[in-house]
This record gives sequence, C-alpha cells and structure tokens, in this order.
Amino acid sequence: MILYIKLAWRNIWRNKRRSLVVITSIGMGVFLMIITMSIVNGMNYQMIDNTISTSLGHVSIHKKGFIENIKPSYSFKPSPGIYEKIIRTGHVTGAASRIKIQGMVRSSEASQGVVITGIDPLKEKTVSELFKYMVEGQGEGYPDSTDREWIVISKQTAEKLDLVPGDRLVLMFQDADEQIVAESFYVRGIFVSPIDTFDKFTVFTGIKKLQSIAAMGSSISEISIRTETRNDAIGVCDTVKGFTADPGIETVTWQQMAPSMVSAIRLYDALMFIFFGIIFITVIFSVANTMIMAIMERFHEIGVMKCIGTRPLNIFIMITSEAINLGLAGMAAGLAASVILVEIFAYTGMDLSIFSESMRIWGTGSVIYPLLMIKDIVSSVIIVFMTAVISSIYPAIKAARIKPMEALNFL
Amino acid sequence: MKKSDKQPVIEAKGIYKAYNTDGLAVHALNGVDLTIKSGEFTAIAGPSGSGKTTLLNIIGGIDRPGKGDIHVAGSDLNTMNNRQLSDLRLYKIGFIFQAYNLIPVLTAIENVEYILLLQGVDKTERRHRSEAILREVGLDKEINRRPGDMSGGQQQRVAVARAMVSEPELILADEPTANLDQKTGSALLDLMKELNRKRGTTFLFSTHDSMVMKRADRLINLSDGKIAGGRKR
Repeated sequence: MILYIKLAWRNIWRNKRRSLVVITSIGMGVFLMIITMSIVNGMNYQMIDNTISTSLGHVSIHKKGFIENIKPSYSFKPSPGIYEKIIRTGHVTGAASRIKIQGMVRSSEASQGVVITGIDPLKEKTVSELFKYMVEGQGEGYPDSTDREWIVISKQTAEKLDLVPGDRLVLMFQDADEQIVAESFYVRGIFVSPIDTFDKFTVFTGIKKLQSIAAMGSSISEISIRTETRNDAIGVCDTVKGFTADPGIETVTWQQMAPSMVSAIRLYDALMFIFFGIIFITVIFSVANTMIMAIMERFHEIGVMKCIGTRPLNIFIMITSEAINLGLAGMAAGLAASVILVEIFAYTGMDLSIFSESMRIWGTGSVIYPLLMIKDIVSSVIIVFMTAVISSIYPAIKAARIKPMEALNFL
Repeated sequence: MKKSDKQPVIEAKGIYKAYNTDGLAVHALNGVDLTIKSGEFTAIAGPSGSGKTTLLNIIGGIDRPGKGDIHVAGSDLNTMNNRQLSDLRLYKIGFIFQAYNLIPVLTAIENVEYILLLQGVDKTERRHRSEAILREVGLDKEINRRPGDMSGGQQQRVAVARAMVSEPELILADEPTANLDQKTGSALLDLMKELNRKRGTTFLFSTHDSMVMKRADRLINLSDGKIAGGRKR
C-alpha cells in the first residue's frame, strides 16, 4: 500500500505543469470554500450577536403571546426576588426588566411607528449594548434615570423626524386600560446600532416613567437575560423556567424568539453547500480528465505492470491514490492560504463599509470578522477526499481493465 | 541428473494463433510444438513477423492460443483464469522486454523490489535480495538511480535483476539485446548465461541477432508461425 502511495506521488510529478494546474484548481476550490464559509459564519455570528445585544437577549421571560402582541395588556408582575434568583444562576451575566409598547413618535415635522422600550439604564447595561451605540457629543449621552421624561432615539429616526438632542417629541400609544395616551419627551441622546430595522423602529425611555404613563403599575413586559455564551442559553432557560409558577408566563431562548433568523442561517448553509457542490463538480471533471490523460500516456507502462504480475486492484489503488494525492496537495495549499487569510481578517476585520447600508439591513455591521470553524475544515477535507475518490473511479477502473497484451503492443 | 532427464518447463502442442487485422485473418502461429526443459538456454530465431513474440506472449500467459495445449511450470494455461495467469506470471515467470520497461518513477532497487513486494516478501528480505541480485548484475553502485538516469545497458541489467530476483522457473526475454549496441548486448548475454549456469534458471528468448543465436545452447528457428528446424549444442 505504501509503495502505491509513493508510486502515485511520484507519478503525479511526472507532468509537473499539468499536476500543478489540477492542484491549483482544487486549492482554489478549497480556498473559496473556506473563505466563503468563514465570511458567512462571521456574518451569521455578528448578525445573531448584534440582534441579541440590541433587543433579544439570550433568554426572555414574558407573557405568552407577547412576541406577537407588544402591548401593555401582555405584561406581568414579576414574582418577588426573581431578579436576584436569575442573577445568581450559573452562566448568567446580567438581567434587566423592560417594557415594550407599540406606539407612535411624532415631531412637528413627521411621525413614525416605533416600539417604545422602557429600560432601567443601569441594568440594561448588563444585557444590551445600547450604551456602546450612543453617539458621543450628541446630547447628554447614555441615560441615568428611570423616571424622567427623557427619550433616546436613533440617528435615522432623528433625521426622519428632523430632531436634534434637546428637542421635544410626543409619544402616543395605548395604555393598559386601552386608552390612547400621549406624552411629551425631550431627546436626551442619539444612538446608531448595527441593525437597520432596530434603529428604524426602536426608541428608549425610562421604565418607571413608561409604567406610570401606561398605567401598568409595577408590571413589566419582559425580563431579558444575558448569558456568558449563546450556547449557555438553553441551559439557563431550563433553570429559569422553574422560577415562575404562572402558566401564562413563558421562558424562551433567542432561537425561539427569532425563528426566522435561525431559518435564514440554515438557508445560508444550504446555499453554501449548493455553491460548493457546483465548485467541486467542476473539480471532479478536471481531476478525472487529468487522470484519464495520465492513464493514456502510461497505457504501455500499466500494461507492463500487469504483465509482471500486478493485480487490477493494485492498479486501481495506484490510480485512486494519485487522485487522492492531487486532492490532498490541493487541499493543503488551499487550506493553508485560506486559514492564513481568514486569520488575518479575523484580526483586522474586513471593512465592507462601502456596502454599509446593505450590511445594516442584514444586521451584521459593516466590518466583518470571518470565523473559521473546525466543522468547516472537516467538511472541506471530506468533500475534497470524496471529490478525489469519485473523480478517480472511472479512470482507475479503466486502468485496472487494461489488457497486458494490448498495452504491450501500444507504443 | 542428465539434461534429458529434466522436467519440461514448457510443453506446447499444436499452438495456433490468428489475429484479425482489418477483416483479414493473419495466422501468427500455425501449429507450434515445443518442449523446453528446466535449465535450458534457448533462443527462438526468425525474421520479423515469424511469430516469435506471439509465441513468447502465449507461453507467458499474456495472450491465449486460438488452439492447442500449453503447459508452463506444470500449469495448464488453457484452464486458468486471468487472476491465475497473473499469479503464474508473478511467481513462476520473469520477463525481460526489448524496451526494458522499468517503472520510470522507481529507482533501480525499487524496481527490483517491486516484484518481491507483489509476492508479499517482508521489507528486510526484499531489500537484502534486491541488493544481492543488483550486485550480481554489476549495478551495486546504481541502486538509487532512476531508469532515466541510466544507460540502456544498465536499464536492461536492472530488468534482468527484476526478472531474476524472485527466482522464477522461467525467464522469457523478447529480443533483450535489440536496443543495445553489440558490446553491451554481448555483455548482457554473458550475464544471462552466467545466471543460467549458476542458478539453473530456464531462459527462453527471441532474437534475430546472429551473435545471440550463436551464444544460445539451443536454437529454434521459427518461420511463418511454424518451427522450421534448429540446433542443440
């Protein structure tokens, strides 16, 4: 076996130029595959991370039906001590109560539908990154109270409503008694998050102020929980479920809150595999063509090998090994180049601010940090190995079936 | 044991072989009867197209006769399948070709070892036996050179070593000196003769070179696919 692998390795270097072309084509395939996968992984990771850090959190406790009905009537009174229990739970890094109400924001110039989010700025810092998204030098910055009449709006909303920090605006929404209420707020600060839709439709104010205007008493819409990693969400969710006895309350993970995002990521993965499939079908034909040419050139030699007692299976192994050697060489080159490039970009980031508007729609941010995953390397190794084996089957069978008599007469 | 008492290595009776070329049947062999005994050093002579190579191919199990019985090293070739013929060639027969036909990407010693590897001989013994036979053919300093870096004479010596290393009962050589100059061809023949004498291996080779014919212990003349006389020394 070792001899056939050695023989195969030496055989592929008999025609250096041809082998280099094949190795390069396989290497390019692997390179494109790893780079694309890493960029998509990075985009997905950032999209999820940004969504979690702006609005979703890793785990949420809320009334059943709240996600579809963002109204004061879908609120609940948290049981005493629940916040402390959550904070003491393993892998939890923060928790904060929120109120979310669908409403409208109006200035003297225009109006816009928004989700009014009442927060406790201090606790909110432990679950979201709103404080990082505040634009410096625009107003008083990140809020520090829960009961004053401040509001924080996005740059997009500010531009649409023609508002600057210090200006006043009016919030309109339905309160807990289903009465329309309107209240005036002053713009305390401006934020810019990496997610376009979040910026378009979210405004923040103090939780106590909102509870008071919306006649909600001490009720809240949700408790948002942040965990150490996103993989801890399921475990924390299971633990936290036991803290509420009310059957009308549900505790869910980010995957359950954003099923469309999870489906989008699965769709990305499926599209990637179709893309790789197309790349490697072309590689299969390229390798098979090379192997057939190599066999035609060595028709006589293979015949001699059979003549002196080499069995067809050994010839089959030799030809398959040649294709696998080509595949492995291409893979090594492609992997090395792609891993180096991914690691560089993972450090520096890929600045795609030229497409910043599109990137914001996807919620990824304009700088992508490619993410190389072990599963991608393993799948590329398997795909290349399978490609090499598949592409060599026909040439190898052809070689194994060479008749010594015909081959000896073939010069 | 007298030469006449020795067992036959090759027994061919009424061998016919015809090829179809452009719809025309070409009779390469027309009823060849031949017996070669163990240890003989025999040349088959004849002009081009006389059927020498066809006869060697049939004896070597590379080709099958159209008609006739053929026994080589005690095996009836007509009853053997391709795998059995392959094993016969591997274990019982050594081949020397006109164009050397070494594996170009393997070194001299690897080419020789290849046969032993196919036979499943372990690494140490393979190396030991290959080095010994290469020393015997005078190539102990060339063992790590590839065929492309060797002269025609040296390559043919490697081919002889490859054919001999597994100590087969029969060596078939198809015009082994045809690609060599007179001096190199003569030296190669001396080497083959020496191996025949020392090891008692049976040699059967085709030639149309008169120098080679003269050196053979037995000469068989082939003409139009038939044996047309010969001589024994």
